[in-house]
Amino acid sequence: MVNDSFEKEVNDKVRDNQALPTKLDIPILKYFWQSNPLFASNKNSIPRFLRKIKVLENFSDNELRVLSKSMHFRQFTDGEKIFNQNDVGVGFYFIYSGRVDIIVEDEQIVKDSNASIPKMNHIVSLDKMDYFGELALLQQQSIRNASAVARESCQLLGIFKPDLENLINSNPTVATRLLQAVSVITANRLFSLTNEVRRLKFKIKELEVKNGNNNK
Amino acid sequence: MATITNKRTEKIRVFLFFFVLFIFSCSLVLFPRVAVPICVAYVISLIFGPAIPFIMRLGIRRTMAVNIIFFGFLFIFSYPLVRVTPVITSEAQNLQYYLPKVERFIKSEYRGLTKKVEEKTGYVVGNEILIDTLKFAKDSTTNILLKVPKYVGNFLEWIFLVPLFVFFMLKDGKSFKKKFLRIVPNSIFERVYYLSHQFNRQLGDYIFAKFVEASLVGVIITTGLMILDVRFGILLGIVAGVTNVIPYLGPILGTVPAIIFGLVEYGWGPTFGAIVILYSVANAIDIALVFPILVSKIVNLHPLIVVISVILGSTFLGVLGMVVSIPVAAALKLICIEIYNEVYGVKSQ
Repeated sequence: MVNDSFEKEVNDKVRDNQALPTKLDIPILKYFWQSNPLFASNKNSIPRFLRKIKVLENFSDNELRVLSKSMHFRQFTDGEKIFNQNDVGVGFYFIYSGRVDIIVEDEQIVKDSNASIPKMNHIVSLDKMDYFGELALLQQQSIRNASAVARESCQLLGIFKPDLENLINSNPTVATRLLQAVSVITANRLFSLTNEVRRLKFKIKELEVKNGNNNK
Repeated sequence: MATITNKRTEKIRVFLFFFVLFIFSCSLVLFPRVAVPICVAYVISLIFGPAIPFIMRLGIRRTMAVNIIFFGFLFIFSYPLVRVTPVITSEAQNLQYYLPKVERFIKSEYRGLTKKVEEKTGYVVGNEILIDTLKFAKDSTTNILLKVPKYVGNFLEWIFLVPLFVFFMLKDGKSFKKKFLRIVPNSIFERVYYLSHQFNRQLGDYIFAKFVEASLVGVIITTGLMILDVRFGILLGIVAGVTNVIPYLGPILGTVPAIIFGLVEYGWGPTFGAIVILYSVANAIDIALVFPILVSKIVNLHPLIVVISVILGSTFLGVLGMVVSIPVAAALKLICIEIYNEVYGVKSQ
């Protein structure tokens, strides 16, 4: 009985319509194996996380390790503000886990009450591995265009202007790669912005033509 | 509901953060025996800090870079220190026998001066001022000499403590800072980080610039005095270098002993003239070339504020206060501007 194979036992039981033995739970085993504190991937998971981000794909592994050393790990609870609109900002954030909403506050006077209540315009929600606040690294006195609010308990990886300055001094290659990544982001955004402006201009022209026809 | 609890925990965090800062600064004031070497080590680490990125650019890790700087410094400076220290001590001992001569000289000069004044104007100048000043000078020097054993005891402690602190500040300073930043609450994180960085940079740049400036002036004057073969040349050069660290007052303070010794030793002769020219040239180089290039770019404070902050620094912290006062004033200015922008809603471009 002892020397019987597991497969034979299962086959016998299937044939006899008996209850099968409990399965070997691979995910649980894997979980316990990975929760070992000495397990390599647990020691430094930040470079592994950064590896998955599309914008940072031209970093080498070692450069990612250097970059991760000068990043700051920040935790936010649900509903906590990460930064406010119109604040001076110095940080560029990656979302390590959780969800972040980007919100634009419009100062509008609500007619029912005399007090001016800022109206919240929800712009976009960002998920794991997204990034926001990249302009703060480039601009001199960068003022935030929008507010960022944590929508779950969030873990963010931030890199700030002082870190960038230190990186430029000590590891110029890494700093250049980071700036390259940030410029790629801004360039893409500028491109789509130009397209949008062109489209809007075309629309305005169309409307003008229509109005002219109506007036005639 | 969640936001209210958030706000409360945030408030607690902010309070805790400032409380920790407060406790830390209080403990610095309360335990000067630890705080002074820490401050000295911090200043020294600021002087050598800028060299680390240069070495790290070659692809060397931080620890190795710090090791190179530290042991390189020990290696390069131990030989001159061993050679120069006996010379300085012998000069300082000579000074002890030399001081009565200075006193006699000043007395005779003063007598001559009073006689001249009496002949010209008929006004008799009393001896009281001279006696008072000489007594004050003697008292203060003996006071310093009496305190020397205490300083020596401190110095022995420092010789071991300060290099240790400097080494670990250079090596682990960054990770200390990172750990400290972890307790900074989210709502003020970016501001605190940016301000502390600016503050550190102002302090570091200023102290580095001052170090370069003082050593340049010291080297110029020492070599000049040695070429002129003036007695106490090395000592006077070191005094000039050290006092140069103090803004505005320093160069004058450094020149006074040289002029007195020059007069006593050589009278109104060509050597005295050469000494005066040397000091003026060194200070002119300092004011015209070194100061505008190195220091003034970093600190843009009004001269009045500079003088006031130096006086305040000297009353609170003595000589160290005089050195540190200007960058601290600059940092305070920075913080004031930040608060002003925050309160009045000015977003400077």
